[in-house]
Amino acid sequence: MHDTVWFEIQGVPAVSIASSEFREAAEAQRDALGMKDARYLLVEHPIQDATDDEMRAKAQAVLPAVIEALTS
Amino acid sequence: MTLIILDPTDERVPVERHISRRNGAITGTIGLLDISKPRGNVLLDELERLLLERLPGVKVNRYRKPTFAKPCPDDLRGTIKSECSFLVEALAD
Amino acid sequence: MSEFNRGFSLPDLDGLPRRFPSGRPSLVCFVKEDCKTCNLVMPVLEAFHRTFGARADVLLVGQSAAGNATLKERHALTMPVLDDSDCRVSFAWDFEIVPAVFWTDGEGKIGTRFEGFVRSEWQALEQQIGAQLDPGFSGLNWLDYPDWRPGCGSKHLDPEVNERLRATASDSPIRARRIEIASADDDAEFMFDQGFSDGLPLVPPTPERVMRMLAGTRRGAQDIVAVVPPNMAPATVEKIAINAVMAGCRPDYLPVVIAAVEAVCTDEFNIHGVTATTMGASPVMVVNGPIRHRIGMNMKLSALGVGNRANATIGRAVRLVVRNIGGARPGGVDRSTMSSPLKFTMCFAEWEEGSPWSPLHVERGFQVEDSVVTVFAMTSGPVLIVDQESRGADQIAGSLGLGLEGAILSKIHRMPMDALLVVCPEHIRTLTSEGQYSKDRLRARIQQVTSRPLREMVANEISGAGIPRAIADKMTPEQLEAPAPKFASEANIHIVVAGSEAGKFSAAFHGWVTGPAGSMSVSRKIETS
Repeated sequence: MHDTVWFEIQGVPAVSIASSEFREAAEAQRDALGMKDARYLLVEHPIQDATDDEMRAKAQAVLPAVIEALTS
Repeated sequence: MTLIILDPTDERVPVERHISRRNGAITGTIGLLDISKPRGNVLLDELERLLLERLPGVKVNRYRKPTFAKPCPDDLRGTIKSECSFLVEALAD
Repeated sequence: MSEFNRGFSLPDLDGLPRRFPSGRPSLVCFVKEDCKTCNLVMPVLEAFHRTFGARADVLLVGQSAAGNATLKERHALTMPVLDDSDCRVSFAWDFEIVPAVFWTDGEGKIGTRFEGFVRSEWQALEQQIGAQLDPGFSGLNWLDYPDWRPGCGSKHLDPEVNERLRATASDSPIRARRIEIASADDDAEFMFDQGFSDGLPLVPPTPERVMRMLAGTRRGAQDIVAVVPPNMAPATVEKIAINAVMAGCRPDYLPVVIAAVEAVCTDEFNIHGVTATTMGASPVMVVNGPIRHRIGMNMKLSALGVGNRANATIGRAVRLVVRNIGGARPGGVDRSTMSSPLKFTMCFAEWEEGSPWSPLHVERGFQVEDSVVTVFAMTSGPVLIVDQESRGADQIAGSLGLGLEGAILSKIHRMPMDALLVVCPEHIRTLTSEGQYSKDRLRARIQQVTSRPLREMVANEISGAGIPRAIADKMTPEQLEAPAPKFASEANIHIVVAGSEAGKFSAAFHGWVTGPAGSMSVSRKIETS
């Protein structure tokens, strides 16, 4: 989140993608950085043992949210 | 430790950090920043393919942080900022 | 544990006040009508009141008047139900959850306290009170009650309620909105990013620093000093103090900042016009009177330059007020083409002791023992006026005039524009070497040496500025030969003394437009301690 917050301050719309395990950490980091509306998206855990096809499915699932996070 | 300061303005608007303005459309170049955790590249490869397919005319640049353990180095941030109008960072696990 | 005084006097449902401590052992229970657990314990408390009420005060303290009436009706209460709707007493007793129970002695010392509903705690309390007071037990069937039930957050902790309580409880004068800078954020970066800064770093205005700053004035923190254009926002003493902290002021500078804000926000000074003009104007502030020495202002070596905290930060504080409270920023209301460092700060003290004349403030109608700040709208300066040769008084005066002639553009004369001339001590020495040389005589001399025929003001191949040819062509030769002094009037020439005693260099500031559409200089008295 440090990076996406920095980019937002610079005027670059940004979004972080993390695994669902990361939700609390993402919220905590966002609070710590003081940008309440910084955008982040979660994809389903697990990541490490997901097959390539499964990873690609996660990408497809999150794509609409990525576009929305950057445009609205 | 959060620091509390008092608002020096006339308080017509809350003083907080906000994300930058959204323009309703993606144009120009999107940066995809790999934070270098394993498997993130597979997700980003697919996102890149989908974005190019979904948004003709938009360019996608790929970048990679040296380590996920620290924020992006300054010079890489500077490069991305000068080359991209949007950023997606992945994949924190 | 807080040291707040727990004593109170609260009205019951009949409007009669009940005091605590009362001299009798007391069971005080804080509740909220819309809390289910509070409702759960109502019969318990009522039973306690009936059983122990002859020997102890059993008091229910509710956080809303309407809620209290509802509780009384709903539970057929005979016990006193006290109104703490503004939550002052709840705040002072410092608990988090309702129901909050306190068992105290007659003097108010707390023996037992707990929050929420843990049945064993309540049972133990009954035993304790029963044993102490001896009238026996309440007859409550504790098995009707759950082992445990969570309470609710007390109303006094609701953020808005709590902030108000904190401010009024310790008589804190602070009312400004609190801004939290997140732990991983940087306070200096945050303030820059929020647009508070003139470009240079700011001191974070923490509540502690602002409280210390407010000690520099006897005025109330919520006194409105001025309404600041363009936002027409009220500048309270507190808001001015916040900006003064950011500027780096000491508390004893605050009265000067306050007086200067008053001065620039007058209609005559027209800070809106001053800030907005593409010519880039800014108040130049001159301070007179005893306060100069008391707060250590600079009026001598480097008077118009760096190194003196009072000079630098007082001017800066006024600029930050205009920016942050008034809302005037470059790119927004401020459209200055070039602007100048005057917009960071330009504030100095007159060296009255080295002046052969009345100090500026006396000239402007104040008593010599008054401390006064005068603000002039200036577009440029200081411009150095160098004369290391002249020996005669009229010659020095002449050079000072020539030094002023370049204001705006040297060929433009009869300007309805102020200038502020800062005469250095060595020039003063030469000026008065032949005897007295009044300010009026100096003004007259400046106008005399800068008088050129009107003809020289006409637009030509050298410069298209000035009187348009079309108009000049309609003028008679006599009109064109008429002498045109630099300034529209001698009253446009303001004169003070400052600078070190070594160096034959005076200085001038050039103004903006005077008159109703422009800006007039304004003086304001500074509060003295």
